[in-house]
Amino acid sequence: MKLLLVEDEPALRSTLLESLRQSGYVVEVAPDFTQAYEKIKLYRYDCVLLDLTLPDGNGLDLLRALKTDDAAAGVLILTARDALEDKVIGLDLGADDYLIKPFHLSELNARLRAIIRRRQFQGQHHIVFRDLLVWPEQAEVLVRGEPLALTRKEYDLLLYLLANPGRVLTKEAIAEHLCGDTVDAADSFDFIYTHLKNLRKKLQEKGADNYIRTMYGVGYKLSNE
Amino acid sequence: MQAHNDKTVPYPLLLYVKLLAATNRYYLALAALLFVVASGALYYGVNAALRHEVDEQLGNQRQLIAALVQAGQPLRPTPFEDQLRVSSHPRPLGLADTLLPDPHEHTLVPCRQLTFQLRQDGKMMWVTLRKSLVETNDILVVVLGVMLGVVLLLLAGVLLLNRWLSGRLWGPFRHTLAALRHYDLQQHRPLVLPTPSIDEFAELNQAVMHLSQRLVADYESLREFTANAAHETQTPLAIMQAQLEQLLQVPALAHDPTAAPLLADLYGATRRLSRLHQALALLSKIENRQFADAQPINLAELLGEKTGQLAPLLEARNLHLHLHLGPTPALRMHPGLADSLVHNLLYNAIKHNQPGGDVTVRLTGEALEISNPGPAISGDPSRFFERFRKHHAAAESPGLGLSIVQQVGAYYGFGITYRYAAQGQRHTLRVAFRPVGPEGRG
Repeated sequence: MKLLLVEDEPALRSTLLESLRQSGYVVEVAPDFTQAYEKIKLYRYDCVLLDLTLPDGNGLDLLRALKTDDAAAGVLILTARDALEDKVIGLDLGADDYLIKPFHLSELNARLRAIIRRRQFQGQHHIVFRDLLVWPEQAEVLVRGEPLALTRKEYDLLLYLLANPGRVLTKEAIAEHLCGDTVDAADSFDFIYTHLKNLRKKLQEKGADNYIRTMYGVGYKLSNE
Repeated sequence: MQAHNDKTVPYPLLLYVKLLAATNRYYLALAALLFVVASGALYYGVNAALRHEVDEQLGNQRQLIAALVQAGQPLRPTPFEDQLRVSSHPRPLGLADTLLPDPHEHTLVPCRQLTFQLRQDGKMMWVTLRKSLVETNDILVVVLGVMLGVVLLLLAGVLLLNRWLSGRLWGPFRHTLAALRHYDLQQHRPLVLPTPSIDEFAELNQAVMHLSQRLVADYESLREFTANAAHETQTPLAIMQAQLEQLLQVPALAHDPTAAPLLADLYGATRRLSRLHQALALLSKIENRQFADAQPINLAELLGEKTGQLAPLLEARNLHLHLHLGPTPALRMHPGLADSLVHNLLYNAIKHNQPGGDVTVRLTGEALEISNPGPAISGDPSRFFERFRKHHAAAESPGLGLSIVQQVGAYYGFGITYRYAAQGQRHTLRVAFRPVGPEGRG
């Protein structure tokens, strides 16, 4: 998976780069419009992470350039602006998704997974994790070949964990993923706990290993060891 | 935007008199005063002149009679008996006014008389000459009549002229006024007004244009400032958040069980700070009226979507949701603001609920009502909408939700009212899509 990260803020760029590489992506970076434009024209990417406010241009123009080239790349807009307007324009221009800064890195991973899955395999992609097999298109989960019945939220939670294997997920990130990021996460910690407990129980009933670890005071982690 | 433009604001100027009517009033008053003064002066002047003339005529006649008598001619009676009266008894001498019966009209008519003494044939006689003043009165009437006519014509002329002038001369002023009334700062364009040929209006237009240019510039810079402030603050927050999240992934944290929760708290605080910042940025954007593009909003659909999103929270607190979605009102709002409004109302009802309670949403064509049970809240209900107002001092949320509700309501001219029913202990927030008048508040 090859990504292009267009982000002008050096500290954010390096942190994102590190996180994305840890998640197994091949990442190239472009700190400004000019370099990003060159890279878009020269190379092919699976997905472009696009900051809209660049020092020498508007990210939306890069999006337009990508779309006129008919590039296969998915586009995930990252914007700090309270982007009620830009978001709509971006999506109209053909961006796949958007994230408003500041965002959770785990959320970024989940969105990226979804975009790449949709783009490259027309949805016919499955996720394998240890003894789990998930068909996202059908929302079907198999544990050792046996179907697992999950509620909507439990399924969302599982998919979120699967998008971030081996990463510590904060309670805030999980809460906002499940409830939308306008909810004050602190209000929803208790329900994450409930859902996780149920998910764990269902997995264990089917004989799956207990790979959802609780990180005390922090959150949860899908252990891949 | 549409919604708050449609709100008809009674234009205060209409309560006052039109400039034209006001000037006309003064013209009329002045003309009436002048007319009274001039009529009086004219009446007395003409009257005095005419009497003087009559007196002179009487004097002439007296001299004529005296000369005739001196020449020894007898004083013959005239056919106009009442004009000359000779008496042998003493009568008061000199000029006097008197009323005499008119033989034809059988009324008393004002007369002027002159009485003098004559000695004829050694006998003293008192001769009285009289002249009717009726003719002079007639002249007076004609003069005053003409005068009044001219004044009335003049007034009518002035009124008509003024009306015509106001249509013509005040045209540019009206144009400016209309342009100002329809001016919308949201369009980011300064006013463009013509330069009328009348100096004062040209100056006015220039001043107004200058003002609107400054407004637009200030508005733009304010907008940019808000956007930049949001951007500049969100960037460091984004860096903090991303780096803290990365820090949490460091394997070395596993060796110290106290380090990770500290980081996690820091992470949570960063998140809260950015949430607070977003809310404040939204409030200031609403106050600066930066949400111009309104779209038709299906509130029922939005409510369904939002309650779905908040379902986990409802579930976690064991709250029941009752949705009563009646006919959806036709609303035009900015989608982001509609979203904020509904979200904050629902969120507020969830947050200040009690375990096992309910959130009841009632949507009709006129209003959206969201109610929930809960103990009475002390304090002035109108202050719940203030910023950073918390029901519990220790609450984690900054207390901006209802402020946002109120601002969005004010932006679209919705009437937002809070009600607490002690019976059943229910809090109800009502958003009336038409503003609530004083008589509707109950």
